[in-house]
Amino acid sequence: MKIRLSVSLVLAALPLLAAPLGAHHSFAPFAMDAERTVTGTVIQFDWTNPHTWIWLEVPNDKGGVDKWGVEGMSPNYLARRGWSKTTLKVGEKVSIVVHPMKDGSNAGTFIRATTADGKPLAQTGQPTEP
Amino acid sequence: MFHRCRIVGIAALVAAVGGPAAAQQTPAKAAPTAADWAAVARLPDFTGVWEQTFGGGGRRGGGPPAGPALTPEAAAKRKALQAAAPEDNQTANCLPPGMPGIMGQPYPMEFLLTPGQVTIVIEAYTQVRHIYTDGRPLPADPDLTFHGTSIGRWEGDTLVAESIGFSPLTEIERNVPHTDQMRITERFRLTDPETMSIQTTVSDPGVLTAPYTSTRTLKRHRTWTIAEYVCQENNRNFVDQNGKAGINLGSPGGKAK
Repeated sequence: MKIRLSVSLVLAALPLLAAPLGAHHSFAPFAMDAERTVTGTVIQFDWTNPHTWIWLEVPNDKGGVDKWGVEGMSPNYLARRGWSKTTLKVGEKVSIVVHPMKDGSNAGTFIRATTADGKPLAQTGQPTEP
Repeated sequence: MFHRCRIVGIAALVAAVGGPAAAQQTPAKAAPTAADWAAVARLPDFTGVWEQTFGGGGRRGGGPPAGPALTPEAAAKRKALQAAAPEDNQTANCLPPGMPGIMGQPYPMEFLLTPGQVTIVIEAYTQVRHIYTDGRPLPADPDLTFHGTSIGRWEGDTLVAESIGFSPLTEIERNVPHTDQMRITERFRLTDPETMSIQTTVSDPGVLTAPYTSTRTLKRHRTWTIAEYVCQENNRNFVDQNGKAGINLGSPGGKAK
């Protein structure tokens, strides 16, 4: 009973939490209950609408690299939360926690990240500018 | 004689192009005077950039907001639409949501007050709403558009906007299509100098058993400007005709096709 109540509370809260993020699209392609950490080198940062995309080269177990894409919030949204088009630079190492694609493609949606010098990066929260 | 012929000729031409309808679409506007601008200056100060507050608004503590009260037919239709399991709506393909959804986006909007008109510049999907406050009536048979046709009047410090004529591509909320009877009344007012309340009432006897009212709270951001939002710039999201949502990962590290 207690567990069921908790689950229903969480479900009730979900639309409120998802509302700001879900404006452009649903998260159907992503495994929202799974997390994966992707560590690699930035090869491109698309500061574009409707979403930013971080493209990484990630070393694989065959001695090569896989190309990964990480979808993030829009530049409009992020610019009001401390980000800019130079927050991530080509050649920079970054570790990103994502909800991966359900189909196993090398892509995911951004949860949180850490830069090479240990700085945390978040995409949600209240605006930093008045 | 020549003069009279010309008048008859113009009358015939006006009749041929559907004069009254054309006149209804574009009422002639006199150039605003200094007095008109002075009257605008006496209106409540809606100017500037505003964004809806999420999480801290009226919903907190009260649980999820009560949804619209649907007729049995509309409820059955929603159930059928949900059962068909569309994974996303057309905004994934960059179609703007239209009214009323466009007013609830996690992006700011700017209010411009000019003589006879309130203009809302909406950052999401780069949309604009025009609310005519020059006393014109709502058109009898408007073309159907994403934002409908809006007129407004000031009731004290409250701007009351009435809108009709919405595209069938817009929804009251997810999986609740509207009929051509949908009418939206919005009441905009400042609850303190930096806070705006927008009370939105959707009525649609074809779908709803009672008008559906919800309230949004917006904060003014004095340092913000409206940014560009061209959804097609690099959109990799999609929902296909079977309702399947996906991500286009072609050209990784390039731009979406």
